Amino acid sequence: MPKRWEVYPGKSQVLCSGRCISAKNLSVFYLTLALIVISSCLFLAFDCRLLAVTLSPSVPVLAAVQFIFVLCCLLRTTFSDPGIIPRGTPDEAAWIESQLEGPQVDRDGNYRPPVRLKDVQINGRVFKLKYCFTCKLWRPPRASHCSTCDNCVDRFDHHCPWVGNCVGRRNYRYFYLFLISLSVYCLYVMVFGIVNLVLLSNMRKDFLMAMKESPTSVLTILVAFFSIWSVVGLGGFHTMLICRETSTNEDIKGSFNQRRHPDLINPFDQGNGLANCCYVLFGPVTPSLLNFREDEIGLGSSISLVTNNGRNGTVSAAAASTAVTATPAVRYSNLTRNNNDATSNSVGHVNNSVQVISESLPAQLPGDGNDVIVKNGNGAPADGVISGGTDAVGAQNSNTQSASSVHCIV
Amino acid sequence: MSSSKPLPNSSSATILPPANKAFVPRDYSHGTELRFSTELPAKLQGRIPEEVFTAVIGNINQLLIAAETGSASVYLESCFACLTGYLAYICMETQYEKCLRSVSRLVEEYNRTVFGPRNLSMIDPSERGLRVIEIVLLRP
Repeated sequence: MPKRWEVYPGKSQVLCSGRCISAKNLSVFYLTLALIVISSCLFLAFDCRLLAVTLSPSVPVLAAVQFIFVLCCLLRTTFSDPGIIPRGTPDEAAWIESQLEGPQVDRDGNYRPPVRLKDVQINGRVFKLKYCFTCKLWRPPRASHCSTCDNCVDRFDHHCPWVGNCVGRRNYRYFYLFLISLSVYCLYVMVFGIVNLVLLSNMRKDFLMAMKESPTSVLTILVAFFSIWSVVGLGGFHTMLICRETSTNEDIKGSFNQRRHPDLINPFDQGNGLANCCYVLFGPVTPSLLNFREDEIGLGSSISLVTNNGRNGTVSAAAASTAVTATPAVRYSNLTRNNNDATSNSVGHVNNSVQVISESLPAQLPGDGNDVIVKNGNGAPADGVISGGTDAVGAQNSNTQSASSVHCIV
Repeated sequence: MSSSKPLPNSSSATILPPANKAFVPRDYSHGTELRFSTELPAKLQGRIPEEVFTAVIGNINQLLIAAETGSASVYLESCFACLTGYLAYICMETQYEKCLRSVSRLVEEYNRTVFGPRNLSMIDPSERGLRVIEIVLLRP
């Protein structure tokens, strides 16, 4: 059975057997990487010799720490899923498209293409949701389709060739931290490169002689100097965007431009710049919805009833359906641990005041102390489960729980 | 049991939705937070009481909305991950992943107790990229 990454239909490049994803063309990314790595190596190997002795050994240590942090952020931005929304299954596409007004010819004989917009009220503001015919889904507000990668990306910011990937919801914080850390690092390298040259020229009593003796310093200073302008500029721009809770894409389109549309509000704004910063940079991280490491189980087709050696059709159907639902039960564990001993305390703060009128909803999930507790009308636990079906379901669950694999980590 | 109809290519042909599946779309009226519509799909009328369906979707929505809420523990977790250069994510499970796992378990439980007896099967929304909740009608 093929894995999902093997049948991925978009134009992004899938690497490491589904663990990483990036744009197809990485040539500019390699340039970025080369500039950073080569300049850093030259700085650490040549400039730091004098600086460590004359000033302090912490100078190269701090440089190395910053270099590693910059690389981590860059590689995370490049190789993680930016928030790609998986394409709709054929059944979903059929359902949505059956509801859309088809292409029509009006009274004047003019062709009208199929209508694919619907209005949605979000916190008092009307948004137009678009149906993406490529991805077969209603694009969430703030999502956009990247033509380079041929995917719909949630909270799409822009496609960055320097980083070799789209910047979207999942990797925006890594991109921003890359910009900020690179700005600081460029400044650090430039300053200490100049300090190195000054120290050398003091020793040799001739600045030109110092430059000839340490040509790599000149090179690193120049690279850092020219990089600073663009990196710091972009970092400042993104700082402003984060404080306003806007993406580059929305800024370009002027979606929340209050000068053009004074009565326009940004419904995603948390109120103040600091709250927006905290949410964007340190807020919850969506896991990758692509689930590349899982088996492709024919998602498009309907589940057909399979009769199985004297078991009744109901049991087999329940088993077939839970084969689809049971597998994800261990998906979100990166370690091979049994689902049952997972702590559910983290979800304990969800308020459990939902009242259920019918008695067929469970009072409590099995094995969970603190999950959402659904109270029955009469407080009784659930009954009325299919006899025999439960055993098949239980068997299916235990089989899939014991077989967890390493999952997509980016 | 009818299978899904093939999509015809010509623009003049009608596209038929699958007869044995009902879809619950996302509800964006409160913003981009994770929430599914609590409106009972037409195909499920008569198969499941509306208040049960609304309560089921409501419970799932509560877990999903909690996943996207920025709480103190979420911020601390992200700060810690940032300080380790995001290498901590290799061995750490995020709050969001824990919430989605709870949703998976809740869906399994509902399949066992609510949907199974009514010959319905709910597909975990994570299996559908959080686009829709798919409910399969096992028997017409």
